[in-house]
Amino acid sequence: MIVRKALIRHGRRLAHSPRQWTRSLATETDLHDLQDTTEAIDSSLSNATLQTKSIESQAEKSGVQYVPQIDARTQMSQQLLGDGTKYVYDRHRRQQKLQNPLGTTVDKGYQPHRLLTDPPRPSDITLELLLASQAHLGHKTSHWNPANSRYIFGIRQGIHIISLDVTAAHLRRACRVVSSVAERGGLILFVGTRPGQDRCVVTAATMAGGCHLFDRWTPGSITNGDQILRSCRKQVVDEFDREVPEQGAALKDASALKPDLVVCMNPIENWVMLHECGMHGVPTIGIIDTDANPTWVTYPIPANDDSLRCVQVIAGALGRAGQEGQANRREAALAGEVTYRPNRPKRIADRMNASPRAVEAATGLANTGDSGMGPAADGVANRSRNSEVDKNLGYHRAELAS
Amino acid sequence: MGRYDFRPLRVHQTATQLLQANKGSSPPPWYGVVSNVPPAQALVRTQPLPHAQRSRRKQTKKASKLFQPQQITYDEDRLRKEFFGDHPWELARPRMVIEDDGRDSYKTDWRRIEQPEKGLSGERSSVVQRQMHIQQTDPDMPKAAAYDRARKEFYGLRLLEDTERRVAREEAMWTGAQFGPSMMEIGMKLEDQEYDRWKAWAEEESKKLEQQNAAMYTDTGSGGFEEHAPPEEELGEDDPSEVTPYAV
Repeated sequence: MIVRKALIRHGRRLAHSPRQWTRSLATETDLHDLQDTTEAIDSSLSNATLQTKSIESQAEKSGVQYVPQIDARTQMSQQLLGDGTKYVYDRHRRQQKLQNPLGTTVDKGYQPHRLLTDPPRPSDITLELLLASQAHLGHKTSHWNPANSRYIFGIRQGIHIISLDVTAAHLRRACRVVSSVAERGGLILFVGTRPGQDRCVVTAATMAGGCHLFDRWTPGSITNGDQILRSCRKQVVDEFDREVPEQGAALKDASALKPDLVVCMNPIENWVMLHECGMHGVPTIGIIDTDANPTWVTYPIPANDDSLRCVQVIAGALGRAGQEGQANRREAALAGEVTYRPNRPKRIADRMNASPRAVEAATGLANTGDSGMGPAADGVANRSRNSEVDKNLGYHRAELAS
Repeated sequence: MGRYDFRPLRVHQTATQLLQANKGSSPPPWYGVVSNVPPAQALVRTQPLPHAQRSRRKQTKKASKLFQPQQITYDEDRLRKEFFGDHPWELARPRMVIEDDGRDSYKTDWRRIEQPEKGLSGERSSVVQRQMHIQQTDPDMPKAAAYDRARKEFYGLRLLEDTERRVAREEAMWTGAQFGPSMMEIGMKLEDQEYDRWKAWAEEESKKLEQQNAAMYTDTGSGGFEEHAPPEEELGEDDPSEVTPYAV
């Protein structure tokens, strides 16, 4: 009766699902059916793996795999973001910006480095500037040179006081000379051999496109230049300051160049150089203190040569004047106008047969045997320039001496 | 002229002569410049600017001092002499001599003694300048009164400075600053050292003096004085182990 009821109960089920019926009778297994089912499972599994692989390959093809780089910097920035340091810093900076305009504005006043980085122009020369730069302080009255009594304003506290209007006038005149010579392509040499004058001399020479000297002047550099400056490199440049290489071979026989203008910051120590310049007709500019001889230079500037600030102001003004001259020259060159008369390098005179006239011809203004002056055959306006490696005559002389 | 070398001043003339001599040569770059901007006159002596009037008695025929530079004098010099004569320690205060742009005089207004552009101690003659201003604006006031007024204003500001310094010191000590020994303490220490040194020297000197005096009165140069004799208590003792240098 139970069996009958079970069959009646499960009969319908068994009738609809014969597979389940076979599963429920687990004790009797049909090997054939088992094999079929395992095969089916295997195939379904393999199908599944194939499907997932295809999905992966599609994913790989479609997008770029991004793997974040982990380095110290990124880690640090993540850390700072995480612990709030960046937020605090940004807030601090915002506060600073808000509070900066509050309170007093402190005037910067005198900044010594600006005399070297941004020197005053000839138009900035005022009596107040010269006064603040101690240009009016001369030497003790007993140490004076009476030849420059015209430049002295009076006596105060035992020293001579230089007249600043006289200083300003002479300085402006010197600036005019420097700018005009630079405009005409002249070679200007700035000399300052006292300690501390090197920077202002180099700055002025760079601005004026000239040469500088802050070591000892080797005596004979002008009178015996062919010997002393023998190893210095020379170059010929055109109106655009480009080197002209064709003239290189001729430069080997060329005599040493003389500067066209010499600016000296301490003439008392460099009297030998000024004497040589006088001998060879080179115009000079110099800072003349109350104890110096004003006839040693062509254009004296009565001022205090012991004050570094005063020397920097004067060197700065002259450098700026040279800069103006160079700018005018380049402007004229771009417009097609050459502001100077081109020349050829002069040959060294034969020293054995040298007569004073021949030496002068070689080292002075005269021309040695060339047909005539004028533009070179190729029509390029050339001028020779004695340029050493560092544009420092003293540097090369130190090399020669060692 | 034998002692002078005018070649630097005559570069242009020399160049002109050379150019004339060598017709084929060309002038140097500076030739036109120096002719346009000639050098200034040299070795010219002119009468200097008169800062002080030359007295009639000294206007003799011999004018040897006529071309000499003169002393620069200001009216403030008298006032300075008076002020620094009365207050010599003001000269000991540090002084700033570097100027910014030389325009300090444009920024100062002497209607009051305090100048924000320069400190009170920076320019010590602020009393002098203030006094000059008072005298110029109020000519009826006697000079002594003007001096007193400027002086009193100056004292007020100096006292203010001293108070500020004292308060700053107290504040610093309150927040943990430690100042070294004061000037008084350093002075006392030096004095003590000197006294100790003197004391040692004096003892040596007195010993030497006593020995000299002793040498004057005795042959062997030993003993004789009460100070060198053994004390009274030891006279009764008769200890042979003790070596007494003096015969009792």
